[in-house]
Amino acid sequence: MTAVLRVRGVTKSFGGAAALKGVDLDLYPGEIHALMGMNGAGKSTLVQVLSGVHQADGGTVEVNGRTHSGLTVRKARRLGIACVPQRRELAMGLTVAENVMLGDLPTRGRTVHWKAVKEGARAALSGLGIEIDVERVAGSLTVAEQTMVEVAREVRRGGRILILDEPTACLSAKDANRIRSLVRTLRDDGVAVVYISHYIDEVMAVADRLTVLRDGAVVTSAPATEMDPASLVRSMVGRDVVSQRPERPAPKVESGLTVRGLSHGRAVQDFTVEVRKGEIVAVLGPAGDAQSRLFDLLSGRQRPDAGEMVVDARAVPFGRIAASLASGLRCVTGDRRTLGLVQELSLDENLMLAGDRFARRRLHRRGELARRAAPLRSSYGVVALTGNPPVGALSGGNQQKVLLGKWLETEPVACFLEDPTNGVDVAAMADIHSLVDELASRGVAVLLASSSAEEVMRLADRVVVVSAGRTVAEHDITAITRDELVATALGGQPQ
Amino acid sequence: MSLKTPSAAQDAVAPPSGRTASRPTLQNLLRIPHGGLIVVLVLVALFTALQADSFTSSQNLLNVLRQISVTAVIAAGLTLLMTAGGMDFSMGSNAAVTVSVGATLLHDGRSTLVTVVLTLLLATLIGLVNGLVVTYTRVAPFVATLASAMLLDGVALLVLDGESITIGQRMWALGNDKVLGIPYLCVVAVVVLAAIGLAMRFTTFGRDAFAMGGNEHVARLSGINVSGRKLALYALAGGLAGLAGLMLLSRLGAAAPNTGGLQLQLTAVAAVVIGGTSLAGGHGTVVGTVLGVVLLGVVANALNLLQVNSYYQFVVTGGVLLVAAIINEFQRKSAPGH
Repeated sequence: MTAVLRVRGVTKSFGGAAALKGVDLDLYPGEIHALMGMNGAGKSTLVQVLSGVHQADGGTVEVNGRTHSGLTVRKARRLGIACVPQRRELAMGLTVAENVMLGDLPTRGRTVHWKAVKEGARAALSGLGIEIDVERVAGSLTVAEQTMVEVAREVRRGGRILILDEPTACLSAKDANRIRSLVRTLRDDGVAVVYISHYIDEVMAVADRLTVLRDGAVVTSAPATEMDPASLVRSMVGRDVVSQRPERPAPKVESGLTVRGLSHGRAVQDFTVEVRKGEIVAVLGPAGDAQSRLFDLLSGRQRPDAGEMVVDARAVPFGRIAASLASGLRCVTGDRRTLGLVQELSLDENLMLAGDRFARRRLHRRGELARRAAPLRSSYGVVALTGNPPVGALSGGNQQKVLLGKWLETEPVACFLEDPTNGVDVAAMADIHSLVDELASRGVAVLLASSSAEEVMRLADRVVVVSAGRTVAEHDITAITRDELVATALGGQPQ
Repeated sequence: MSLKTPSAAQDAVAPPSGRTASRPTLQNLLRIPHGGLIVVLVLVALFTALQADSFTSSQNLLNVLRQISVTAVIAAGLTLLMTAGGMDFSMGSNAAVTVSVGATLLHDGRSTLVTVVLTLLLATLIGLVNGLVVTYTRVAPFVATLASAMLLDGVALLVLDGESITIGQRMWALGNDKVLGIPYLCVVAVVVLAAIGLAMRFTTFGRDAFAMGGNEHVARLSGINVSGRKLALYALAGGLAGLAGLMLLSRLGAAAPNTGGLQLQLTAVAAVVIGGTSLAGGHGTVVGTVLGVVLLGVVANALNLLQVNSYYQFVVTGGVLLVAAIINEFQRKSAPGH
């Protein structure tokens, strides 16, 4: 079988820093090729070179046997290379049908032939076994459905090499399964799929071939059957990563954070939890369920319909950010882009954004700020290539550490963490887990909202399982296995 | 861009490591903050100086300084406000109200001190009302302040009732005297610009503006009193508009219908945008604003001296704004981390 895409010795550097150092890659039709690597390993740069966003400094890209030295976005698209980025790029105000047919709307005379638009879109979707009403507005779709629509659009446009960047990030197990079966359908249709994901188990299950990048170079490229999770992690990180439950001091008796009878519409119904100081309690549920509303309600962004909150034995009124912060509760969002960090501001300024406001500082000097931020940077392991870049230029893992550092160094009494390892690589994940362990050891009450059973097993002392807005189970972590936990979270529908 | 071709070709040949800061290529100029803007300003000034001898006379330069001082004060307030993600189209109209109310008060025999205090209070109050509307009704700042701009323009006309009111020799010194050879008006503008510039860089108040403009949700969650800050910023913009109005009144010595108003405001907005402050908020610099104000002032003066038909002023100002905005966009793209 001949390769549909052959990459040879591609190099790319940005302002002197090499992002790709001579990368080789072969893609075959009808194969799922997983691209693995830590944040900043060069995956995104490689994808951007393939899809023509960036031009390679050196090396060749060969598509269907013809060598191309420089790809542009237009040329890549014409050659059938399509990319579904991590952030969904649908026109949210248009219908599914329009989105699928966008740029190629069938016309009759000079007006849009709406019937043909719908039929074309329906055919494109059903050809891939996707069942979505084409008349729905794109903005009303779930993230998984948006991904599917984007895939259908790219395939309809003639995409024979499809690059999927973390298509299952932030999805529930059920939705992730739908995406994975779609990817298998694509493979069976003869599409070459490049699959980027941080989830090791998922990659092992779905991929036919694996290529691991580290520091801009290919470390391994082998059929998936020749790899096992441990060796995969080792080649990604360059060392063994150990993320095991450490011994933590037993939780104190007094309660750090108590939430009683929290209700908000249909999303959260009568949610109650008590977290003692030094204890980590996880709220686990399908993506988008009650646990994903807790951030807005606890941080004071939204006022719930009913309920009460007690932090450190003092009642805290809902609906006021200032009151929530004053109580010593720190809420760390899982959505660092829109609710966590100011992308244009520098790393140091983001790191001290909350702390300096609590300290009621009036003056701001860069040198002094850097001095205060330095210990935080080192204790949270934030690495920046150049001095103090805008935080948006950092890799996902580093941004997440900045976000945690920003909140966890402001003397919290209780902490609410929402998906603290969202979109970070294995090494950063292990680092963040140790940071959370240490936080609990300092006697902070930690409430953790997560949609990952592994993370809950790794961190939590107790777990509250929610589904459809209601609490369905509560367990000590020692009294339940991972598989039981997954089963409860997925199958625990309230009667 | 005919300027770009030679230097860009040179750059493409040279290896990336060969880019030294000393070589004055366009690429390197783009690396200097406001490099492109400075080049345009120097070119315009050189061209005018060569074409019209009177451009470099101290009399003319002082005149330019007096003219741009009023715009500079408005632009200073606007820079801070826009950096915080806000917008105020009514500052020029607020100044027009100040001019007419101030002239009326002085004409009615109030003391200068009372007039100054009253008009500044009024202007600040108008700004505060803008702030209240924007903060608590969630009407877009663009719409809310455009509405108040039209409203205030009307109020200014109503106060004057179609007549011009002279203030005689009152406040003459502020508008026309010099200290150490520099017009008072210019001193006031420099003080305001410096104060805003220092506040933006060295105070938490200023940094809050950057955080709010960059991402209001994050700012609020980080414990910044966003509503309070917004009210303060709009009130400050109003107060500075009042100050600009007083400066204008002292320079002109009379209040005539259609002094200041939306036209003055649009010049200030253009200057701020030319200076590279983002309309979406999140970044802005007073240095850029100063360059923008000076550029527009010099261009207007040049057109005067070269005896270009005054109708072309708008055409040229629009052209300058467009070119500067394009250069800023190039510069933003070549900035690291983008």
